[in-house]
Amino acid sequence: MGIDPSQIKPNKTVDARGTSCPGPLLEAKRSITQVPIDGILEVLSSDPGTKKDIPAWAKKVGHELLGMVDESGYTRIFVRRKK
Amino acid sequence: MYYLREMPDKLTITVISGSVDRLTGMAVLVSGAVAMDVDVEIFLQLWGIYAFRKDKIRENTHLSEFEELGEEVMKRMVEKNVKPWHEVLKEAKELGNVKIYACSTAMDIWGVKLEDLEMVDDVIGAAEWIEKAKESNISIFV
Repeated sequence: MGIDPSQIKPNKTVDARGTSCPGPLLEAKRSITQVPIDGILEVLSSDPGTKKDIPAWAKKVGHELLGMVDESGYTRIFVRRKK
Repeated sequence: MYYLREMPDKLTITVISGSVDRLTGMAVLVSGAVAMDVDVEIFLQLWGIYAFRKDKIRENTHLSEFEELGEEVMKRMVEKNVKPWHEVLKEAKELGNVKIYACSTAMDIWGVKLEDLEMVDDVIGAAEWIEKAKESNISIFV
């Protein structure tokens, strides 16, 4: 069974709300190295493209998408750093 | 996935346009590629070179389409926090592997040197560009 993403405790949260595509993805790329390997990065984004972009990026680069939580006007996206 | 030979993912972009709308689209694709660890090489021709001139890059407001909507679209871009194309490109260049080349013939036409252009790494000819484009998985024309 999957974990409930709303219960995830990230090592770091980066707030990319208000930046347009692909700003939140660049923030994720920049910030992932600031959490330890196996640590969790949370990205806050108000750009709807990010919900597709971050999973595609995680898959390509080799990190693990843990889940997303839709809030009012933005989404919280959780990625586990794998390397 | 299996590849016949190992090569990095690479996007090549031939830029003949100097219009802000097209350059904005180009810059967004470049930063998307950088985020995906895709190398990018850009070849500037005629108006592309003009748009990268240090004395023009910030004052250029030319659009390629729907000129009558220019003011509105610029206003919306500011409202939506879309950065100017050259800032997006600069950020992408700092974050990833992005090389920008200028066409030697077009440099001649404008009478500019490498140091007159912003962010441009080198001057090359069309044949060398084709060699670079041959090695890329994605190649687009702006």
